[in-house]
Amino acid sequence: MTRRALDWRDLILGLFLVAVATGALWMTRRLPIGSAADMGPGYMPRVVSLALLGFGAFFLLRGARHAGAAIEPVHLRPLLAVLLAVGIFALTAERLGLAIASVLTVLLAGLATRETRPLESIGFAILLSGLAALLFVKVLALPVPLWPR
Amino acid sequence: MELFDNLLMGLSTAVQLKNLGFCLVGVLIGTAIGVLPGIGPIPTIALLLPFTFGMEPAGAMIMLAGIFYGAQYGGSTTAILVNVPGETSSVVTCLDGHQMARQGKAGTALAIAAISSFFAGTVATVVIALLSVPLAALALKFTAVEYFSLLVLGLIAAVVLAHGSVARSLAMVFLGLLLGLIGIDVSSGAARMTFGVPELSDGIDFVPVAMGMFGLAEIIANLERPAERRVVSQKVRDLIPSRADLRAAFPAMVRGTMLGSALGVLPGGGAALPPFSSYALEKKLAKDPSRFGHGAIEGVAGPEAANNAGAQTSFIPLLTLGIPANALMALMIGALMMQGIQPGPQIMREQPQLVWGVIASMWVGNLMLLVINLPLIGLWVSMLKVPYRLLFPAIVLFCCIGTYGIANSLFNVWLMLGCAAVGYLFIKVGVEPAPLLLGLVLGPQLEENFRRAMLLSEGDFSVFLTRPISALLLGAVALALLAMLSPAILRRRQEALAE
Repeated sequence: MTRRALDWRDLILGLFLVAVATGALWMTRRLPIGSAADMGPGYMPRVVSLALLGFGAFFLLRGARHAGAAIEPVHLRPLLAVLLAVGIFALTAERLGLAIASVLTVLLAGLATRETRPLESIGFAILLSGLAALLFVKVLALPVPLWPR
Repeated sequence: MELFDNLLMGLSTAVQLKNLGFCLVGVLIGTAIGVLPGIGPIPTIALLLPFTFGMEPAGAMIMLAGIFYGAQYGGSTTAILVNVPGETSSVVTCLDGHQMARQGKAGTALAIAAISSFFAGTVATVVIALLSVPLAALALKFTAVEYFSLLVLGLIAAVVLAHGSVARSLAMVFLGLLLGLIGIDVSSGAARMTFGVPELSDGIDFVPVAMGMFGLAEIIANLERPAERRVVSQKVRDLIPSRADLRAAFPAMVRGTMLGSALGVLPGGGAALPPFSSYALEKKLAKDPSRFGHGAIEGVAGPEAANNAGAQTSFIPLLTLGIPANALMALMIGALMMQGIQPGPQIMREQPQLVWGVIASMWVGNLMLLVINLPLIGLWVSMLKVPYRLLFPAIVLFCCIGTYGIANSLFNVWLMLGCAAVGYLFIKVGVEPAPLLLGLVLGPQLEENFRRAMLLSEGDFSVFLTRPISALLLGAVALALLAMLSPAILRRRQEALAE
């Protein structure tokens, strides 16, 4: 018995779209729809969500019937490092100030590849942090604290 | 002549000393990021948006426009010298441009690329000036019905011209429309899908979405591929092409310019389409097509002219109709609105200094690029030696600060993080994020005009077909969709879009 070939790219995309559309339909369930001549706030969300639901179902069906190109393997290291770097910026920028947040962000992002050299990365992080502070806080007067409050 | 009056008025704005300065800064930044693979004009312009807040509208738009077409110049430099496209628009330039460089004609290739771009830029400036006035006059007659049909045409064109599967791109348009609906509904005041987050009540910001999906997701995907970058280490000389070279390149230049100008006006026309089409055309017209891929000078001149012409004429829908032709123009709309200027057909009458100033500055900027770019080649080449391991953490940091700076909101940084993750998923399953961005930007306008049209017609959907201009526009939509379904065109489209 042979296993049926699947198109995982279609299946995952279909699943994603169905999930988003269902979520949107659920969230807008209480908004009045109105009529075509006098649309309520729920009219367009429902039209668009239903269309998305249709697309999701289409991709799910298509993915289950045909084989497709394989998904390239996911490398966790760059994915996690870049997302964590952004996360640490969001967590620290207003509490610890731009100077420290910048250094942390650059260092964490650097972990995304094996090519990063620790000493060079630290020096570069401090340099970038100084540059960012000068440019955004001094020149552009971005209202973000520079140092911990 | 009204045309020349307008251009002269624009020129007088563009050559003011401070505007010349902004133009120079714009094209220099644009060339720099164009040269560097891995950072495109979208994150750069998004990053610079907060800078423009304190500037005069004309100066701000001149600088941002300069970044856009400057990037097209820079991208081809990398393509020729390193065989890596600095921008998506210069993918085809790699084919013959890099071959020329390997044959020792790097200088000629660079010069032909620059001259073609300048020629195309000059013609495109005139095209913009010629088309803008009648189009804006026509647009003033538009009601909500025509606007709705035009927006639909724009979104469908984005799908037809995007890479990859039509169904996927259509789904992305709808996903973008859904995101665009987030926020407080203007007419009823009801909160829609805001998750109770106050930052979402004004709708989702475009910049974090663009930076997450284009900037950060691209970086993550880039890091997964093994790094390989070799600069052609010969000295770049013979920057002045011979007369024979020019004669060979000129017809291709003219054809590329015409093709690029036409394709650039189409809403949704991506940066990749004009150069690809021009390359295909040149190959078809050539007496000896086998030269292509081995350093044919037409293979550099045509696509380079096409991409620069397309980049410039894509401003036409923005300036005349207030509709962005692509994701980048959507950012431009954002910049205008930050200045308190509502884009639309009335902008030509109310802000003539601004509109014509920007148009004239494009020609000035192209001249600057031609003059400064060739002598600065050495500088751009040395920039290419900055290793990616240093470049990408810097981009990540600047994306964070830039996103934060647009509204001083950490929420936007979190939003960018989410969009980066989703963008990565999109890359893995093979969908393009560009149609989504267009849907997000045009969504609110689409709903607004749809509602108004329905209100006027008392809920009668046939109004879109009984009004002539609207019917014409929707006819074009139907034609485009039908064409996509016909197998013969489907095959040819795949050939044309295949690298």
